[in-house]
Formats: sequence, C-alpha cells, structure tokens
Amino acid sequence: MAAATLMAGCNNSTASSNTASTTTTPTPPLDIPDNDILNFALNLEYLEAEFYLYAATGSGLSSTDALSGAGTTTVPAGIAAVPWTNSTFAHYANEIAQDELDHVRFLQKAITSNSGTPVPRPNLDLTFFAPLAVVAGITTTPTFNPFLSTNAFLVGAFVFEDVGVTAYTGAAPMIANTSILSAAAGIQATEAYHAAEIRTLLVAGATQANDQTYVNYANMVSALRATLGGGNETPLSATSIVAASSTNAIAFSRTTDQVLHIVYGAAGGAGLNKGGFFPSGLNGNISVTAS
Amino acid sequence: MATLETQQLDEIIINSRRKMLTLGGAALAAIAFGGPRKAQAQSTVNDNDILNFALNLEYLEAQFYNLAVYGVTIDKLPTPIPVSVNGGTAGTVTLSPTFAKVNFVLPNIRSYATETATEEGKHVLFLQNALSTNAVSMPSIDLYNSFNALAVAAGIGASFNPFASDQNFLIGAYIFEDVGVSAYHGAAGLISDKVNILPAAVGIHAVEAYHAGLIRTTISGLDALAGTTTLSTMTQAISALRSNLANPSGATTTTFTGTTADDIGVGTTSVALNGSSSSYTADTIVDCDSNALGWGRTTSQILAIVTDTAPTATTHQGLFYPAGLNGTII
Repeated sequence: MAAATLMAGCNNSTASSNTASTTTTPTPPLDIPDNDILNFALNLEYLEAEFYLYAATGSGLSSTDALSGAGTTTVPAGIAAVPWTNSTFAHYANEIAQDELDHVRFLQKAITSNSGTPVPRPNLDLTFFAPLAVVAGITTTPTFNPFLSTNAFLVGAFVFEDVGVTAYTGAAPMIANTSILSAAAGIQATEAYHAAEIRTLLVAGATQANDQTYVNYANMVSALRATLGGGNETPLSATSIVAASSTNAIAFSRTTDQVLHIVYGAAGGAGLNKGGFFPSGLNGNISVTAS
Repeated sequence: MATLETQQLDEIIINSRRKMLTLGGAALAAIAFGGPRKAQAQSTVNDNDILNFALNLEYLEAQFYNLAVYGVTIDKLPTPIPVSVNGGTAGTVTLSPTFAKVNFVLPNIRSYATETATEEGKHVLFLQNALSTNAVSMPSIDLYNSFNALAVAAGIGASFNPFASDQNFLIGAYIFEDVGVSAYHGAAGLISDKVNILPAAVGIHAVEAYHAGLIRTTISGLDALAGTTTLSTMTQAISALRSNLANPSGATTTTFTGTTADDIGVGTTSVALNGSSSSYTADTIVDCDSNALGWGRTTSQILAIVTDTAPTATTHQGLFYPAGLNGTII
C-alpha cells in the first residue's frame, strides 16, 4: 500500500483528455555497461513473465527460472488462470507467456556469457494493478484484478507492453556490443508485436461488442503512463493502433528513469528507488531514478 | 541443445558472415571481436547507404498502403509525398490494368490500412529529410506481376490481387511487414551514428513490428471468427517462401515453433510454459526465434526476398523492384 500512497501523491487526473502524444527527448547514449542494461531489462522481463504465466497457468516462474536469491511475488488472493472467453485468447496468452519466459532465460544466459551476473527475480507485486486502476480512474476502490476476465487481462497486459517497447527502444542505442544490440532489437520487436496484438484485441473486441469500455480503460492507463513516464503515448482507437510519434511515425523511446517512474508508480523526481510493481525496487545497478 | 557459448559463437559467426556479405572480409576481424565503442569503422557501407536502402523499402510500403486506401500513388495524394528528389527521376509503379483501391467491407480493416498508409508515408518523408541531399528517388515498383509471381512461388494460387478484398489486403500487407522488421533489425548493427541515426532506426523498427503484430493478430482473429485456417495457411506458405529466398542453402536458425527457418507464419504450436512438458497450445502471432527474439536479416537477404533473386547475386532486380533499388545497396 506504500505504492498506492506514492501514486496518490502524483497527478491523478482521469484521462478525460488523453493528448499525450508529446515526446521527451531521451538522453543521448551514456556509458552504461551493457550488463547493467541487460539486468535492467531482465527485471522487466521477470515482471512480464510472472504476469503472463499466472494468467496462463495460475502459477508463476519456477524457482529455477527465478534464480537463487529470488524475491517473492505477491498475487491477488485465490489467483487462478484467467477464465478465458474462448480458447483463442488462451492461445494468445500462452504465446506471450512463453515469449516472456524465453526472454528471461535468454537474458540470464546473455549476461552470464558477457561475463556478468544475472540478477534474481526481485520482489514483485501483481496486486498493484488494483491501486493503479484507482489512480488511473478506472475504479473508485482498489478492486481491479486482471486475472478475473479476458477483458481485464487485456487491460493488465496493456499496462506493460508499450512500456516494454519504449524501454527497449530507449536502451538499444546505448548498447556497445553489436551482438547484444542485435539481441536487444530482437526482444524489442517481439515486445512491439505483443503491444500491437494487445491493442488490436482491445479495439477489435470493442468493435464486436459495440462497447468501448476496455479501450477507455486502456486509454486511462495510457494517460497515467504519460504522466509518470514523460509523455510518449498515443491514444488507442481503431484509427490509432501503433504507439508512435505523430510527427514521423517513429516509436517512442523512454529513458531508464522514465521507465522506473512508471513501474514504481510515482511521478518525477530523483531518488525514487522502489514502489508499484517492485515493492523493494529493481535488482541491479539501474534501480534508482536520477531525475 | 546448444550451450549459450556455442549459440553466441554461432551468432558471432552468422553475424560476421552477414557482415562479410555487405562489408567485405576486411572488416571481419574488427566486427567479430567488437570494435571500440561508438567508433566502428565501416569502410564500404555508410549510414546514408543504409538509410537509402530503408527508403527504397518504405517507398514500396507507402505505395502499397496508399494505393490500397486511396487508389492513388503517394505523389498524387492531396498532400503529395515526393517520389523524385535531388534531381533524380522517379521510377514507375506497375498496377493491374483493372486496378482499383480496396473496397473495404470491414471498417476496422479500413482504419488499420489508413493508419498504416499514413505511417509508412511519414517514414518516407522522415528518411528523405534525414538524408537530405543524399536521398534517392523512388525506384520502379511493381505491385501487379510481383504478387502474381509470389502467389505461384508460395503455392497459394495462380494469381493474387492484394487489392481485391479485406482478406487479400491483409495477406498483401503480411508479405511486407515482417520483412521490414527483419530489415531494420539487421541494419541496426551496421549503423555508425549511434546518437542521431540509430535511435531513429530502432524506432522505425518498432513501428514495423507494431504493424506486423496488427496484421498478424487481425489475420488470426478473422480465421478464428470464420472457424477456418484459410488465411493462416497462406501466411505459413509466404513465411516459408521468405525463409527459402533469404536462405537458399537452408536456414540455420530455429524458430519459436522448432522448425529450421528464419520465419514463421500465423498458426499454433505447443509450449511448456513453466511446466516440463509442451502441454499448452500457443498462437504464433510473433515472428520470432527459439529465444523469442525477432529476426534480423542482412541487406543481401532482404534484397533476395523483395526481388526474388539469390542473396549472392551481384545486383538484385525483379519482383517488387523490376529495375532494382536505387542507391548503393542494390
């Protein structure tokens, strides 16, 4: 609940006008060691893998995949696999869950190969969706649970995917080693496929049901991300699936600080080191905001 | 199963081979062992060459989508997009004698096409602007014989008109988008200017992946609604063709589904998730490898796909580019 307090302190306007297509120019490449960037990415992949695995199977990462010294993942009481509307959605979720698990395993191996030490899974909080939904204006009380229905799951997935794209788009140019850059671009592409998939499913579902409720929820999340993460958002609609600059159709990128503010669930300022989905902060050298 | 060390070694070897194709062997040692940070010497391909290569691909995509939605080439739009720049002469766009824009029945698909048309047009303008006086004009583009030839090669029919229906449009778009993703991915490692050029390239790369994800999800959804696998089956044939064109001696990479290729169509596969046996069915919306990484292709492999030539050909002409590409990567 500390996280909720942090978020409550930020601007919690409820996205009535989501005009967040402004960009904040990312900082130019810094001399951050590649393994620090990869471990930063690994933290995000732990979060995504955990979310999708619980949605798909009702349980999370194996202790082997979480690595020795792993933190715990807090989940909603009585968690079980999402009761999917139909098998197609189960197949979509299973694919993304396997992809994110593959990313966890790949990054762990890549860091080891690059003479580094992959960090274990940090403490994660998948109940943070509930206070996040309140701050976003989706609910008035912290009841939102992305594991209870297909549509709620899509909104939950929406919280992560575009953030993953912007994180990799921001991080890739900072990577020194060409092979690692290529790998990062590969993960970036997969996250963008996922993001488009989730955005398309939300829009298509709204069209079929003639009900924009969950697209509206997604846009409330988008507005909140813009508040926390330096703009870098495109409102979702049938005419706007891709999240990219309206000027040149280039995908947004975020600095590690901007990503941390989103996943910690608190707005600008230096020294933020935990909160939101990461109640004890990220593991590794990139875990505290510098701005 | 290969260890990571052998996988990484393979990766270095593959990357090195790919770069040899483009750069020549002289640069090999520097690449294999990693050049000094942000100071890679690339003697034969510079950033303008790469951006012009990308511009050729964006001309193709922009023409396809704008013709699908508006029925006119990009230079005839209400706000025209130049096809002739820096005193160059634009090529021609070949269309069916009976060409007509897509008569979209499904409003969402019209919306998706319209958005994509706008975005690909912006990519053309962005690259022209970034290249400034170095930008090349549009090469000749064929959107008629190309699709017919592809249909035969992929075994999806004697002819194929991507402008004939919502479904055909999606298949036409499918042909391009994953290729665009793999082209920008492959190019990223070649770019010298990591401050100004590389961020834009990886940003466009992501947008192409958004487009690909949009198209593939829509294809999957339409098949699911109709209770068929008609469109998915076509994507699998096209992906197999793309992999064969890019790797005429056989691919060496393993896909998400376990096949040996560098491309997978829309379909389903079995996955283990956090268990020990492959007991879950997963879709294949993402075109990725066994590590769930998107594909990178060399410029030679991209040229092979878009012109239906061997990657090793000295110049590439055919299919979508009957007179080849403009620029230095041709």
